Amino acid sequence: MGLRRALVAAALLGALTFTPSAAVKINGSTTVNLPVAEAAEILRSEHKLAIHVDTQGGSSGGISSLGDGLVEIGMISKPLTDADRAKYPKVDFKTHQIGSDAVALIVSRDVWEAGVEALSRERMRGIYEGKIRNWKEVGGPDRRIAFFNKEPGRGTWEVFAQWLYGDPKKAPQVAFPEVGGNEETRNKVSSTRGAISQLSASWADGENVFALGLKDDTGKAILPTNDAVRSGAYRMSRPLYLLTNGEPTGEVKQIIDFMLSPRGAEIIRKHGYLPMVDLK
Amino acid sequence: MLLTFIVQSVPVWKHAGFSFPLGKEWFFRTALFGALPMIYGSIVVALIAVVIAGPIGLGAALFTSEYLPSNARRFVKTAIELLAGIPSVVYGLLGVLLLRDWVYHLLQSFDPLSGDTLLTAAILLAIMILPTIMTLADDAFRSVPHQQRAAARALGLNKAEATLFVSLPQARAGIVAAILLAFGRAIGETIAVFLVVGRQDNQLPSSVLSLRPLVEAGQTITSKLGGSETNIAYGDPLHWAAMVGLALLLLLGVSFLTWFGLRLGERPNA
Repeated sequence: MGLRRALVAAALLGALTFTPSAAVKINGSTTVNLPVAEAAEILRSEHKLAIHVDTQGGSSGGISSLGDGLVEIGMISKPLTDADRAKYPKVDFKTHQIGSDAVALIVSRDVWEAGVEALSRERMRGIYEGKIRNWKEVGGPDRRIAFFNKEPGRGTWEVFAQWLYGDPKKAPQVAFPEVGGNEETRNKVSSTRGAISQLSASWADGENVFALGLKDDTGKAILPTNDAVRSGAYRMSRPLYLLTNGEPTGEVKQIIDFMLSPRGAEIIRKHGYLPMVDLK
Repeated sequence: MLLTFIVQSVPVWKHAGFSFPLGKEWFFRTALFGALPMIYGSIVVALIAVVIAGPIGLGAALFTSEYLPSNARRFVKTAIELLAGIPSVVYGLLGVLLLRDWVYHLLQSFDPLSGDTLLTAAILLAIMILPTIMTLADDAFRSVPHQQRAAARALGLNKAEATLFVSLPQARAGIVAAILLAFGRAIGETIAVFLVVGRQDNQLPSSVLSLRPLVEAGQTITSKLGGSETNIAYGDPLHWAAMVGLALLLLLGVSFLTWFGLRLGERPNA
């Protein structure tokens, strides 16, 4: 895990200090990054495409770096809102959905093993608003709830707040320890007792961190499985987008087409997301 | 750069006035911009780092400058200066891998929420600024003229006494400068702190002397600026101004410390 972090950091430094002008630059969500980075490797070796993939600032970083013209493709793991478009009136944002993903509430091993396997929206609101502070109030061990909040601006957070309050703007202002990328979230939750956070479901490995089910109105727990995402029964799901300024052409189009091709779909599936062909 | 910062931060000063640096709450969606918890976080973290690293760094510097033969000293000093050159992200990653868990277990009796605490950040910073303190203090000791030591010895002081009562007082200005520069570096450090401080907004102690916040997560100016909130702030003049305002406070603080430290360092020895 540390090695991967170091590699990401090294790649980032490299991208900042040495960027040949011809390369296609991609930035944004750490969720979308996984399949895109792998596709970039393939395109690099097979078609000699120069591609730089970066994950500065998550989804909102993807939008702002595309908006500022720093990159050619943004990666975002949340719906693009009117507010996002309004910030960059001169930019013609085009979304290209490459798949879907579920956002899960993940907990550390001790919580999972104590029998907390699902949460209702009520209960999660209680935790988010600081009214529920101990796991024993939701059927868990007598332990403080260590809630790591995804930074606002992360796609994961937006999808979570959408589910919890119907609109991210309606989410109350809270102050919790914050986590950024997916790797960091998983690391911190797995190494902290009584921890809970929001994370892309495919990153919940079921060894160190565990994805909770969401209880629907009838009290039935629905796990973030691909079937539940496809049918819409699991409520915290989200589109994964590549974002361009205007219709893509040339190498940018080549990258997007590859992500939508059967090989691209295979890579997306491998990382635990649902490619477009599986959504139909 | 200073001008840009001042101009761009004007809206937040207009909006909040002195409640910008002194306000206790930062909720950007309701346009509450109080930077005090972050200023507190930055200062506390850097201060504790200096308190930890200061005595160790000075002791090490005394040893290399006064006791080691010059060949060994040069070797040790080069090694230490290499340490000072390690990129901070590397320290940050080591902090995540080793220090977080260590602090988490160490503090078990205080029931910390996680291993991300102000104290974790402070210890990490202490490790990072140790080479700075050591190498600058070493220079300060070396700049004490050799004749002074010889005179002290001739007056019958032994080696330890000469070191304590002659070298140490004469190098005082340089030592203070070393510590101030290290303090400045600690306050300005971003990535390493970002990774272990927890980044929790609005954490202020109930009283100034309370140590409780040390075992809780906190936020520093740099960890705030390094986060994804800068991306959200972009496009919203007031929010952006608040972020730039934070940068301005940081820049002023660090510049002052550096300037003051360098000035002290230049002062000739009495």
